Amino acid sequence: MRALVCCAIAAWLCDLTGAASACSFSAADGEVLNGVDTRLAWKPIGRAVIAVSEDFAIDVRACPADTELLRVDATMPAHRHGMNYKPSIETIGPGQWRVRGLLWHMRGRWELSFETRRAGGSQTLRQSIELP
Amino acid sequence: MGASMVVGSAHGLDFSAAERSAIVSHGPWPPTIAIDASNNRSASPAAIALGRRLFVDPRLSSSKTVSCANCHDPLRHFQDGRATAIGRAIGTRNTPSVIDSAGQRWYGWDGASDSLWAASLRAMMRDDEMGVGAAGVAKLIRDDRPLRQAYRRAFGKPPDDDDERLMVNLAKAFAAYQATLVSPRTAFDDFRDALAQNDHAAASRYPEAAQRGLRLFIGEGRCSLCHAGPRFSNGEFADTGRPHFVPGEGVDSGRHGGVRSVLGSRFNRLGPYADDAGAGASATRHVLATHRNFGEFKVPGLRGLTHTAPYMHDGSLPTLAAVLGHYDKINEERLHADGERILRPLGLSTGQLADLEAFLSSLSAQTP
Repeated sequence: MRALVCCAIAAWLCDLTGAASACSFSAADGEVLNGVDTRLAWKPIGRAVIAVSEDFAIDVRACPADTELLRVDATMPAHRHGMNYKPSIETIGPGQWRVRGLLWHMRGRWELSFETRRAGGSQTLRQSIELP
Repeated sequence: MGASMVVGSAHGLDFSAAERSAIVSHGPWPPTIAIDASNNRSASPAAIALGRRLFVDPRLSSSKTVSCANCHDPLRHFQDGRATAIGRAIGTRNTPSVIDSAGQRWYGWDGASDSLWAASLRAMMRDDEMGVGAAGVAKLIRDDRPLRQAYRRAFGKPPDDDDERLMVNLAKAFAAYQATLVSPRTAFDDFRDALAQNDHAAASRYPEAAQRGLRLFIGEGRCSLCHAGPRFSNGEFADTGRPHFVPGEGVDSGRHGGVRSVLGSRFNRLGPYADDAGAGASATRHVLATHRNFGEFKVPGLRGLTHTAPYMHDGSLPTLAAVLGHYDKINEERLHADGERILRPLGLSTGQLADLEAFLSSLSAQTP
């Protein structure tokens, strides 16, 4: 089943800080999310699509690379529940992480969230995804 | 063709593209089962033969009277037809069938095991089930020449000196056998495949009542939110508003206790007996214990349903009609779901309930 990305924002349209603009994404980095002074790209690894009730992992990359990724989570706002699993975050390079242990156990709209910190300030970047 | 695809219009319903997609997601059947990497005997014919042989052997209980087949009766769809299991003592939960048990993430109503071999092990060790323990298993295998030879064929070596290792290996043989038990194709599977192939003539052979019930199942009834995929289970846990107070026993905490059990067990997929050194243990590694788990029980698969009455974790509902009646009028006040909004009274008509039952019945082959 194909996960339909509903609210990915075209990163290149955004006005970013000087530090962020020195760092760029390619299509291979996956879906791009824009924050105040941080951009994230993420993509599932080892599979083309996310499927109901199947464990998956994602790779996440941040621009600028001095961003910290504090937490990744997902909820189903319409059902008022989250995942039954707590994903783990492994740093695989500067501003790059592998997040394991995601599992979406129902079809419907999920909100994937990334809590980040940079220069003392934290923010949460979110993406809404329809799992058919 | 527009969003609404006409399928079997002479003798059936017009399913929309979204409905067709939802229906097709419940197949194909049988599924391709991935080999259990934590059990390096999972596809071994010799291990399967050993597991099959011992499955019906009552010497694998401390009383020498209870075999796996006492509760998982091959003539009863590998369950027992009782409300709650009777092993060495009367249990508090309904016996789930072990058909279609391969490839699941969690085992048992509370998910206290994360592999089929660990679930088999649990039955051997629990006092109220078989209660045989490692020493009893080891003695049986070492003292019985044919079993000793069968063990050697399955594992390529004589029975281990380590009693616990020997017991775990035997559990892996049980798992290898149980993984071969797959339910037959059903009328629903024929319909699902016909729909996927736009075969109107074949699709029209599926009774209209079942088609109407299927539409309710994936739509208004929202049943397929939890009863998802080819097995009709998302493999997770839910509070369905059934009582979890057990007379004389107290409270059955369900998944709350199951998470603690699986994480505390040296026989889990992160432990020393997993043959893949934990590589396939993502669910166990990441599972989250929450207060919400209290009173949650595993979402059962629905295949073979007509052969597995009574229903629910405590076997408290005798018929499919009773189960549907429960969900139709579910008391939301009894749910302990922290504001979760999934279950709500369905308020279906008598005819709709009959249609849902017709659909659910079509998930069973005529003979188990």
